[in-house]
Amino acid sequence: MKRQTRQQYRMRVWLLMAVYVALIFFVWPHAKTASSLPLRALFALLPTVPVIGVIAVMLHHVMCSDELEQRIHTNALGIATAIVCIASLIGGFLAAAHVLALGGDILLWVFPLVCVSYAASRWLLARRYGGAGCE
Amino acid sequence: MNNRVRELREAKGWSQGELALRLDVSRQTVNAIETGKYDPSLPLAFKLAKLFKQAIEDLFDPGE
Repeated sequence: MKRQTRQQYRMRVWLLMAVYVALIFFVWPHAKTASSLPLRALFALLPTVPVIGVIAVMLHHVMCSDELEQRIHTNALGIATAIVCIASLIGGFLAAAHVLALGGDILLWVFPLVCVSYAASRWLLARRYGGAGCE
Repeated sequence: MNNRVRELREAKGWSQGELALRLDVSRQTVNAIETGKYDPSLPLAFKLAKLFKQAIEDLFDPGE
């Protein structure tokens, strides 16, 4: 697989995220008002398409990285997964015990939390190896 | 692990970026190897040894 440059990678991610934001602002609100159930489901799920695209771009980026970068990416993903698992467990137990009232909307924050934890872990790990980030 | 990668690279007059291109890795990886922060895999170590026409044991020293 051909290595993506940092600029190519960023541009693809930003482009897909722009589509995502546009869908959230202009399409997703119709999910609550559309007349038929299939149409509501379509509007509700449409924003996941660019997110799947972002995941595909990230996967391609990781697969084309060299061995040190792959180590950094996989370690960062492991840390991010652990953070999200712990946060979900804490939220889940508190909600089950009726200490916190959490709705289904909270699930929308899982992916952003994974992304933020992953980016922070990757930055910290890259610093450990003497770099500012993965190329 | 200690290594002579920086010494051999400088002897060839290559920058870290040039060596990275020849090895098909990132400049960060070359820097991490040179500073001893990362020990390369066996295939990458062989690639380095072949590039510098050295035996692996002459390039890397476990530093016991």
